[in-house]
Amino acid sequence: MKVIVLENVTKYYSRFKALDGLTFHINKGEKVAILGPNGAGKTTLVKIISGQMRANSGKVEVMGINPAKMSIELRKKIGFVSHNPMLYNELTAYENLKFYSKLYEVDESNINKLLKMVKLYERRHSLVKTFSRGMKQRLAIARALLHDPEILILDEPTSGLDVNGRIELLNYLSKLDKTILLTTHNINEAEKLCDRAIILYGGKIVAECSIHEVEKIYMSKMVSL
Amino acid sequence: MSAFSKPKFIEVAWKDIIVEFRSKSTLSLMVLFSLITSMLFSVTVPVSYAESIGASLLWLIFIFVGMLGYARAFVREVELETLDGLKLSPIHPASILAGKMIYNLVLMFITEIVVFPIFVGVFNMSIKKPLLFFAILTLGNSAFVVAMSSLAILIIKSRSKELLLPIIAFPVVFPVISSTVFALNMSVTGNTNGILEPLKMIVSFSLIVMAVAFLTSEYAFID
Repeated sequence: MKVIVLENVTKYYSRFKALDGLTFHINKGEKVAILGPNGAGKTTLVKIISGQMRANSGKVEVMGINPAKMSIELRKKIGFVSHNPMLYNELTAYENLKFYSKLYEVDESNINKLLKMVKLYERRHSLVKTFSRGMKQRLAIARALLHDPEILILDEPTSGLDVNGRIELLNYLSKLDKTILLTTHNINEAEKLCDRAIILYGGKIVAECSIHEVEKIYMSKMVSL
Repeated sequence: MSAFSKPKFIEVAWKDIIVEFRSKSTLSLMVLFSLITSMLFSVTVPVSYAESIGASLLWLIFIFVGMLGYARAFVREVELETLDGLKLSPIHPASILAGKMIYNLVLMFITEIVVFPIFVGVFNMSIKKPLLFFAILTLGNSAFVVAMSSLAILIIKSRSKELLLPIIAFPVVFPVISSTVFALNMSVTGNTNGILEPLKMIVSFSLIVMAVAFLTSEYAFID
């Protein structure tokens, strides 16, 4: 079953073409990495898929719904983690998750379970501003999983984390049994988490391959481009 | 989830109130700015003029303080990049806007309660109908909050953000400014004949701005 479908998607920023006729799909349960250097169009792509941005042309469907319609039902099915944790510094870890649980209309009882999962239960009553970058990212994962989404979109989630933080975060994510779309420029992260890769360069798809071939193909494509 | 859970816009407003009371970043500035301006007016404007222009000066303070404070509700979310979290959540943009309006109304009301008696005391103002005066002040301020909150979502994507807001806002809120000053002066003198006209104007303005803002909020939140 196709959960994310893109057909000939194009996005312009003024005259600059950020995405150029992207076509691909992601099946239910698949873990797909969008790889590419900085400026390849990865963040623009996930913003369009998550409904934060409109494409100029082409068809985008997530679970059969156009995300640009800002459907409340669709947003309940998507979890989003980016380099920005989207948390309130002046609220505690628990209060942050409680606030989002109200918006997602899910039971508050799930919060403690998630805080234990990301090893922040002991710090649940601490203000988020006292957390390290790694702790904030772990809490961001808990926030994204609050409503048990069917699709998890990860936009460079390890950006700014130290080595330990990266390993810890990838370990959490690799245990999740969900459809995952990961954008990264780090091949090792993609290999650890995903089964398939789509390589973007200059807003175009330059290759689609299994994760086992990604290093070879990515290097050859980047050299040839 | 509790069967009596609060509507989402109340959750947004409540969250903002908690964040504000912990960070003390906006309210303290608004109150301080109001008090400093009141003091400045008290030394620059002769007390003998208080009765004729006092209401206008007080309203002017609230306009300046509103320009300073009301956009912060959105700008803070942009600066901390938490607005993306709201945009990705299953909440209608109109509910986010309604939450911000309520939060700004709370800030406005607290500022009013602190500043109003001090201003009246400093200017030794004699108001013939003080309750009516306070009610009109609150009504005018509420209309101003509605307009400023609605316009604030238009400036969040711009670079100059808070600097741009007054430029956009003044022409829009002009009918509220003139109607409120007119009604406030009537309550100071006690001659309230025809006071319903400016009040109707303020209420109609608020309803129209609110309706337009709620109907178009969706477009303001997507890139």
